[in-house]
Amino acid sequence: MDSGKVKFFLGEVLRNFTRNTGMQMTAIGTVAITIVLLGMFLFVRAALAGAGAQLLDQIEISAYLRADATPKQVTAIAHYLEADRRIASVQFVPKRQGLAELRERTKGTIDTGLLTENPLPDKFRIKARVPDDVPAVAAGVRRLSGVDNVVYGQKIVQRLLQLGAVLRRIGIGVIGVFFAVAGIIIANTIRLTVFARRREIAIMQLVGATNTYIRLPFICEGLVDGVIGGLLAVGLLSIARVTLWPRLLEALPWAQLRAFPLDPRLLGGELVLVGATIGIVASWISVGRHLRT
Amino acid sequence: MISLRGVSLVYPNGVRALDNVNLEIAKGDFVFLVGHSGTGKSSLLRLLYREAKATAGQITVDGIRVDRVRRSRVPALRRHLGVVFQDFKLLNDKTVWENVAFAMQVTGAHTRDVMRQVPRVLDLVGLSHKSRMYPNELSGGEQQRTAIARALVNNPKILLCDEPTGNLDPTNTSEITALLQRINLKGTTVVVATHNQAVVDRMRRRVVRLDDGRITTDEERGYYYLGLRESQVLSG
Repeated sequence: MDSGKVKFFLGEVLRNFTRNTGMQMTAIGTVAITIVLLGMFLFVRAALAGAGAQLLDQIEISAYLRADATPKQVTAIAHYLEADRRIASVQFVPKRQGLAELRERTKGTIDTGLLTENPLPDKFRIKARVPDDVPAVAAGVRRLSGVDNVVYGQKIVQRLLQLGAVLRRIGIGVIGVFFAVAGIIIANTIRLTVFARRREIAIMQLVGATNTYIRLPFICEGLVDGVIGGLLAVGLLSIARVTLWPRLLEALPWAQLRAFPLDPRLLGGELVLVGATIGIVASWISVGRHLRT
Repeated sequence: MISLRGVSLVYPNGVRALDNVNLEIAKGDFVFLVGHSGTGKSSLLRLLYREAKATAGQITVDGIRVDRVRRSRVPALRRHLGVVFQDFKLLNDKTVWENVAFAMQVTGAHTRDVMRQVPRVLDLVGLSHKSRMYPNELSGGEQQRTAIARALVNNPKILLCDEPTGNLDPTNTSEITALLQRINLKGTTVVVATHNQAVVDRMRRRVVRLDDGRITTDEERGYYYLGLRESQVLSG
């Protein structure tokens, strides 16, 4: 390895980089913001997906029985449910137990002691093996005689998933815009360096330096911008994980965020890689334009 | 070494810079291109190092068909050529040594070769003692010598000079002229575009005269002005 060559090259990159510190900082900052947004987006998406999957998993069908259903009808319904292969579990909940469960669930918020009689009907609590089968199972149960009403949380879950899809689209849009902005700012930064070094570039071309060689220091500059921005973003995300994450868990216990599988420590490499890619692509385009003219 | 056949150059704005130029320059030649401003001297040089592309005709430089050369081969072509300009084109934030070494470093030369070659050319142009100075600490002649050293550091077979003495006083001009002659004596083909009469008349070398994009005369031992005789130069 020719150490003199390496030293010369690194010297050129460093000179580029320190020539316009303010602009470099802007570029790095934009990359960092972009990647923080990307990280947050991945985070929210994973959380939503986790929460959604869990909700779907928890869906149960409540088949409420008519108050005048005969024991014979109830037995027939039980047999029907046990025979259905799409059903994972069936539990008969007499109205007394239903009330006890209601009391337990609403303890401290609603005073069920005010109830003079039990308003709840008997019901079967049914869990499907696959969430997708829930509507069909529910429809089947509804047709049985002695069944008054069939209720399941499908609509809420569907809305939740729709919301997730909308949020995802908005997220992708916002991140797309930020990627474009970050790219443009890096490209402009590099263009300033190219402009500051136009004499050197002209001389390099004159003495027969190849375009690849002329390009390389600028690509490195973009790469450095992207990598530093990426590292900064990963740092910010890690800090957020330590400081904000526990509070978020506390504030949103219902969101089932504990199942969240994403760890910035695992994703850090990828995020920095994304930063590096923005830097390289932006500077490549920027210098390419100059060399063509 | 250099050959132009039926070469024309029309710029995109419609200006015809060169019109059916034919010129042969042999290895080791020393050639002056003379003529008024805007007669195509610089354009002709620009064609040779492929800064401009001929509209018509064949150009061969050191065996390379310059009119046909692919973009990716242009750097290789330019490594066979040294080019010197009126405005020196030095980098002011680099020392004399660094300016000269730059031409080798950016073409991927080994440090070993840089360390050997740079002192050699600095010695040739007589700037060894000023290698650590910056261009703005040098006289115009010294700056041009630095530029010549840079042009020579990659051992080109051809040296192209576009008004090399245009910014220099008479003393510096004769220094540069003497240097170009020395370089030519070492076997390098030298082509100089100039309108410095003194330089041309003192050297008495081949003079190619351009007028309005055409070669009008080509003399083996010429003067700046056509039809001038030795006696007139000496007395004038």
